[in-house]
Amino acid sequence: MTTTSETTTPDRSWIADITMTELERNPYQAYERLRQEAPLAFVPVLGSYVASTADICREIATSPDFEAVITPAGGRTFGHPAIIGVNGDIHSDLRGMVEPQLQPVEVDRWVDDLVRPIARRYLEAFEADGHADIVTQFAEPVSVRSLGDLLGLQDVSSDKLRQWFGQLSRSFTNAAMTEDGEFVNPDGFVEGDVARAEIQAAVDPLIDKWIEEPAETAISHWLHDGMPPGKTRDRQYIYPTIYVYLLGAMQEPGHGIASTLVGLFSEPEQMEEVVDDPTLIPRAISEGMRWTSPIWSATARISKVPVTIAGVDLPANTPVILSYGSANHDTGVYDAPTRYDIKRPPLPHLAFGAGNHACAGIYYANHVMRIALEELFEAIPNLERNTSTDIEFWGWGFRGPTSLPVDWEV
Amino acid sequence: MAFTATVGNQQVSCGEDQSMLDAFLRAGVWMPNSCNQGTCGTCKLRVVDGDVDHGDSPADTLTAEEREAGLALACQARLRSDSVVETLGGAVGGGITHPLRDLTATVLSNDEIARDTRRLLLELPEPLAFHPGQYVELTVPGTQLRRQYSLANTADEDKVLELHVRSVSGGAATERWIFTSMAVGDQIPVTGPLGDFFLPAEDSDDGGPMVLIGGGTGLAPLIGLARTALSRDPGRRVLLYHGVRGVDDLYNLDQMAELTKVYPAFTFVPVLSHEAPAAESVHREGFPTDHFIEDVDSARGWSGWLCGPPPMVEAGVRAFKRRRMAPRMIHREKFTPATD
Ligand SMILES: Cc1cc2nc3c(=O)[nH]c(=O)nc-3n(C[C@H](O)[C@H](O)[C@H](O)COP(=O)(O)OP(=O)(O)OC[C@H]3O[C@@H](n4cnc5c(N)ncnc54)[C@H](O)[C@@H]3O)c2cc1C
Ligand code: HEM
Ligand code: FES
Repeated sequence: MTTTSETTTPDRSWIADITMTELERNPYQAYERLRQEAPLAFVPVLGSYVASTADICREIATSPDFEAVITPAGGRTFGHPAIIGVNGDIHSDLRGMVEPQLQPVEVDRWVDDLVRPIARRYLEAFEADGHADIVTQFAEPVSVRSLGDLLGLQDVSSDKLRQWFGQLSRSFTNAAMTEDGEFVNPDGFVEGDVARAEIQAAVDPLIDKWIEEPAETAISHWLHDGMPPGKTRDRQYIYPTIYVYLLGAMQEPGHGIASTLVGLFSEPEQMEEVVDDPTLIPRAISEGMRWTSPIWSATARISKVPVTIAGVDLPANTPVILSYGSANHDTGVYDAPTRYDIKRPPLPHLAFGAGNHACAGIYYANHVMRIALEELFEAIPNLERNTSTDIEFWGWGFRGPTSLPVDWEV
Repeated sequence: MAFTATVGNQQVSCGEDQSMLDAFLRAGVWMPNSCNQGTCGTCKLRVVDGDVDHGDSPADTLTAEEREAGLALACQARLRSDSVVETLGGAVGGGITHPLRDLTATVLSNDEIARDTRRLLLELPEPLAFHPGQYVELTVPGTQLRRQYSLANTADEDKVLELHVRSVSGGAATERWIFTSMAVGDQIPVTGPLGDFFLPAEDSDDGGPMVLIGGGTGLAPLIGLARTALSRDPGRRVLLYHGVRGVDDLYNLDQMAELTKVYPAFTFVPVLSHEAPAAESVHREGFPTDHFIEDVDSARGWSGWLCGPPPMVEAGVRAFKRRRMAPRMIHREKFTPATD
């Protein structure tokens, strides 16, 4: 019998072996172990501390001792000042700029008229086929077209918007760091740079126009709202936040729709209940967000002062990545978290973050996903998963199924 | 100190310093929510009755007008009295709700109209407002047992209620009362109307095609529904299947023939499950839901009405969805046996 293993510090060397590829393929195993053994840990491949439990994520996200910081790969992709990485007056100004269009009273006014026809249009294109890939033919197009029209990007095709969020997303999560704090794969940012150049080429002329003739588009409001007469916000000041939208706000409702469906397919009885009773759709989406959180691990906070969190001493200026996707699988909060189950006690989840940087688009995003699923089940109530292939999920920063083939009788 | 919040038929006790949302979620009662910090508005609900303290509800999420209008954020509000709240998901049923009433009816007739099947005509002391397709409850004399029977009437037939009752072996209401001791002239208590099995209000009825499938006495409410729908829209396609075991179980055939004559787009299809139809008869063999699948290629834009034994209703839901009827257009009334 030995007692030494009980007194020595546990062996944490496995944390140094975590790779980006492993996290992108399936982050759940590594994070499960992190939650158990080191819920606030320095993860070398990310070059950062990582918070993986619900309590610690929430504590850091809402603590006055922390403020927002953008991850290095995120900053390299978006530039400054992106709303997710700024604080104080700049953050207040940017929140004040984006929030008016996203207020519930405001969203209620137009969301149905915006999203429902778009969902119907994409459904009409394939509903007679008897088969489709829900991710590329429905979830992503409905998500990008709705927000694209809201922003004023009617002339940018849905395929282009989908391409941009893919490029920005891979660049944003090109997170692997060397021991010296360098990017392991600098070439990984090239596609983000390409997307940004294309976005500016498409959006600059629109901004030129909206400066002269304000329009009822979100970006036009961003230029004008709250500015003294004759003045507009500088475009370089708002571009990083435009990229935040063109990545997360474009991609995540699509992820959410598809993940919710995959979850429902894993529980055929619950699927049937939800198809039969559309009022259950919001509950199904909420569980989908918990089960596979679209923004799995993409935002961060930084300590303003030396703090001790969960027994770990962090000096001032220590960044911590918030892994909301892991927090939502915390067994301290959820029983059998890997199971999709709309019947579980409906406890709050962290898929939209917490604190003063929590998602500004929750209300709108929930409605987009709801309307999309309502229309899908209305048009194709006999939807079945095509089981000839397994469904693959991908992503550490942002996560969702890469494709979702379905069949139905026509 | 705790107060009670009532939502629908559920009651939840909320601590003085506990948000309503928290209390509901802990009690396992679903209420929409996302951020739990008052910023997204997903948890907005209406306080129908009672006092709440809005706590830290931000003015952006919950405007002064909304407060005036009785809205609250469940994640922020604390109860200051027992309260009644409702979620904003849209009222169930919609349109006019006819008040539930207790009346004493007189049995006008109680005739055998098919094998083990009676037609009851009950005369009311005053008219009863109801939606065709709804049901009433009868109390078995000398007991507390309540049994539901669907109305075969249209809304203007509001003084004499028509019920179709099938005998259940050993049944307290059927075998031991309606089929044996109930006599013409008996005074019986009737409670109604009840249920959500009814057509949309006339101004929101799009006149679209309808399929109705009844098993046994599940035909009763379909008769009221089909006649109402056809009088609203005489040209509308109405397909009515009656599933029974054998020819002897069929009834109201004259009425069906009459409807077929008056309304060219009305079709009545009797289906026998335990008997081969006679040569050249209009009867079909098997289950009505299977015949529907064969008869109708696409039920997009149709509404569906299912009434009778639960397994038949469930088979009907599957058949309708297979033909791509929108689930919200599928209406069901299950003759679920009583649990007492
Ligand atoms: C909304 C609603 C509407 C209804 N409308 C009608 C209607 O229009 N016409 C009509 O005839 N009935 C209708 N019913 C069924 C009706 O309410 C009674 O349940 C039925 O008449 C049996 O009552 P009972 O008291 O005779 O039998 P009970 O004393 O309740 O039952 C005796 C025994 O038979 C079993 N049993 C009961 N019903 C069945 C059955 N159908 N098949 C097999 N076993 C059974 C019971 O479990 C019990 O063991 C309706 C039910 C509901 C819920
Ligand atoms: C299902 C879809 C979505 C999910 C799961 C989601 C999730 C998130 C998360 C986790 C964050 C970071 C929160 C934090 O760091 O604590 C965030 C930030 C943000 N989201 Fe969303 N989001 C979605 C859709 C949207 C949409 C459609 C919009 C806009 C229309 C939007 C706008 C924003 C903004 C502006 C921020 C930055 C907030 C800030 O830093 O102050 N999101 N989102
Ligand atoms: S849950 Fe977001 S406001 Fe209450």
